[in-house]
Formats: sequence, structure tokens, C-alpha cells
Amino acid sequence: MIGPLLAMWQADAAFPSGGFAFSNGLEGLAASEPLDGEALERMIAGVLRRRWATADRVAMLHAFDRASDLDAVAEIDAEVEAATLCEPFRAGSRRNGAGLLAAHVRIATPGAADWQARVRAGRAQGHLAPTQGLVWRGAGLDAEGATLASGYMVLSGFTTAAVRLGVVGAVAAQAVVRRLLPLLAELAAAPAPDRIASFAPRLDIAAARHARGELRLFSN
Amino acid sequence: MLHPSPQTFAGAPKSTAARIGIGGPVGSGKTALIERLIPVLRARNVNLAVVTNDLVTKEDAERLRRSGLIEPERVLAVEAGACPHTVIREDPTLNMAAGDELEASFPGLELIVFESGGDNLASTFSLDLVDWWIFVIDVAGGDDIPRKKGPGVLKSDLLVVNKIDLAPHVGVNLERMLAEASAVRNGRPVIATNARAGDGVEALADAICRAVLFRE
Ligand SMILES: Nc1nc2c(ncn2[C@@H]2O[C@H](COP(=O)(O)OP(=O)(O)OP(=O)(O)O)[C@@H](O)[C@H]2O)c(=O)[nH]1
Ligand SMILES: [Mg+2]
Repeated sequence: MIGPLLAMWQADAAFPSGGFAFSNGLEGLAASEPLDGEALERMIAGVLRRRWATADRVAMLHAFDRASDLDAVAEIDAEVEAATLCEPFRAGSRRNGAGLLAAHVRIATPGAADWQARVRAGRAQGHLAPTQGLVWRGAGLDAEGATLASGYMVLSGFTTAAVRLGVVGAVAAQAVVRRLLPLLAELAAAPAPDRIASFAPRLDIAAARHARGELRLFSN
Repeated sequence: MLHPSPQTFAGAPKSTAARIGIGGPVGSGKTALIERLIPVLRARNVNLAVVTNDLVTKEDAERLRRSGLIEPERVLAVEAGACPHTVIREDPTLNMAAGDELEASFPGLELIVFESGGDNLASTFSLDLVDWWIFVIDVAGGDDIPRKKGPGVLKSDLLVVNKIDLAPHVGVNLERMLAEASAVRNGRPVIATNARAGDGVEALADAICRAVLFRE
């Protein structure tokens, strides 16, 4: 039973990785159009389908599979850099990756320190998804647990940000989470494509607008 | 300088710069004190950098960068996602990463000052992030603040009572306020400052140097 426990441990918001500081476009979206629980649910469903399942999950799994080969992880990392068109998402992914890495280096997760040294030396960007794959392999998660942890963190990250932005209440947010879990389970079960592909233009635009905004609670 | 950080596990790289936190309620004078401290510490040849945790904007980081007191590259801003206490306590990893980045950029860095976003009396720093921390309150917030025994007031390594110049204007008996602060902290250090005029800033710098830089 250690596999599911390790996945819960990493998906738990109590594990410090900096994720709480990122709205991943939601703050910009909420500022530009009225959002309610339903709109939030549709938006998250779209991100899970067209960004998480096809990009974040793929990069994470590829890095997970090749975690002991830092050159291979760096290649995946470069692919994420190239495939993430929107600068606030690129920057957010690097900073969130650095946060996750900082925690794993300090608890001495195998592989974390070497990857951090490489990122610090400027020989990798340290994006979130490949960093997750690498440290989660080192921490002993299995591929299924790592996939679920990564998807769950996207889902709960959006709903938590939505609560702080006043889009939905803390309890109503959990109804959104509950309704989206079957979709997440379905997407997680599908085989991962070979290449990273992401398409969520509304959020890209919202995040770009957010980056120019003066008043910001979140990093992106 | 070798600085032992108790929080690092064997095998993990040790931080080389000492890390201190400055927390306290909104507007108590945290940034003003940092602006006063920078020249004093630099005059003592302390190699330092600052990380700010602004709540909504990068106001404090920009203010320090523009101040001319420190190279702008030595000031990093970490946005706190509306959670000023989370980013210094429950999840300090973004601040840790910012500290790591500063250490990598400035070899020989000795001191990193983390300014928390203005919060309430309950905010405290995680010892994962800092070796030692200061809580700043001000006399204009009321002389009953020490009696309210907030965790920040009680648990900080050093309590600073700022804006002492305002005491007569807000009807605060400063001596009593300081005595009560000392009493609730069981005699642990309390310093009175006026960041406007710079009063008490040398004493603050002394305390920092003694506590984390092991210099007199
Ligand atoms: N009279 C007086 N004013 C002060 C003193 N210290 C700070 N101030 C003023 O108090 C106001 C707030 O000071 P800041 O340094 O911005 O306070 P802060 O704690 O950094 O505020 P946040 O970061 O927003 O929480 C400014 O207008 C300062 O000029 C002081 O010792 N005396
Ligand atoms: Mg300030």
C-alpha cells in the first residue's frame, strides 16, 4: 500500500512546493470576465483535457521514466520550455519547479540535488513537470501514483486559487473537485502520447493580460 | 563564512548565507527599517541581499531597488498568492528557492533578509527558511499590542517596537509598553526604533551581527 500513500503525500497541499502562489491564468481570467462555479468547472475540465493530459502529464511521465538520465530529463525540460508559449506560464513553471526541488533537496530525495545543481548552473530550466517526474521517481512513487498526484494538484490548485479569488466558496469548490475527479481518472488511464502538446488559448491570453496588471495576488 | 543551518539533512547542500526574517503587521515599518539597516550593515562590510514578499504588487521590492542603497539585482520579489503567512511558514519553498538563487548569483553572500508581507500578530517564520527572525510592531498600533501576546510578539527572536517618535502623538506610554513587551517575552530582547530618524538602527544591526554573523 505504500504506492498510493506516497502519491497522497506528494499531492497533499501540505507538502511545500510553492504551488499556492500560482493561479495559472485564473486570476487574469477572473479579472476579465465574471466566473461562477460552473464556468470554473468548464475551465478546469478544458485545462485537464488540453493541457494537463497532453502536456504536463506527458512531460512528467517521460522524466519519471528516464529519471536517472539527467541529459534525457534536460531534453524533456527543454521541450517544455519550447512548448509553453506564454511567458508567465513558463516563468511560473520554473519557479514552482524550483520550489518543489528546494523541498526535495532538503529532505534528501535521491536525484534532487544533482538536478538542482544542473538548474543552478543554467544547464536546465527546471520546469515543474519534469522536476516532478524526477523527484517523484526518486521518492519512490509509481507511475500511476505520480500521474494521479500531478493531475490532482492541477485540479486542487485551480479550486484553491478560485476560493482565494472569491470565485467560489471553499465548500462549493469541493463540489467542483468531486465532479471533475471522474474526468481526471479517465484522462489518467489513457496512454500518454509521445510528444508534448498544449492548447488552452483563453488561459494563455488571460495570463498574458495578468502579467501586465498592477494588482496581483498570484504569480501568474 | 560557514554557517551551520540546523534544518538541513545530512547530504543536502548547506546554505552558506545566514537567513533572517522580518515580519509584523501591515505598515509597522519593516521596509523602512530595512532601508535604514542596509547602509549600516554595508558599512560593516556585510555582503547582503533582500527578498520581499509583497502581498499584491512588487511595491516593496521596487522601492528597495530604486533606493540606490543596494544593487537592484540583490533584491528579489516573491509573490505570496494572497497568503503572507503561508509563504514564510507552511510553504516557504518559493522563498528558499529565491534565497538559493541569490546565493548562486552572489558568491560570498553572507546575509539574506526576508521581508514578510504585512500580516497579523499571529505570523511566525518557519525555521526551514530563516535562522533567526524579527517581529516589528509600532507604537501607533496601540500600547496594548504586547499584552495581546500574539505568537509573533512572543516567539520572535527579537521584537522591535518602531515609530517611537509617534508615542506622544498617540498617547502611548513608551516605557510601559517596552516593559510589558519585555515581560510577556520573559526578558527576551526588545529594541525600540524610529526608522524615520534612524534611532535604534545601530542596536538592531548589532543584534543581527551577534545572532547570525557571529561578529561583534
Ligand atoms: N513616524 C514614523 N513613521 C514611520 C516609521 N517607520 C516607518 N514609518 C512610516 O510608516 C509607513 C509604513 O512603513 P513601511 O516601511 O512601508 O511599513 P511596512 O511594515 O514595510 O509595510 P508593509 O510592507 O506594507 O506591511 C511609511 O509611511 C513610513 O514612512 C517611524 O519610525 N516613525
Ligand atoms: Mg514593507
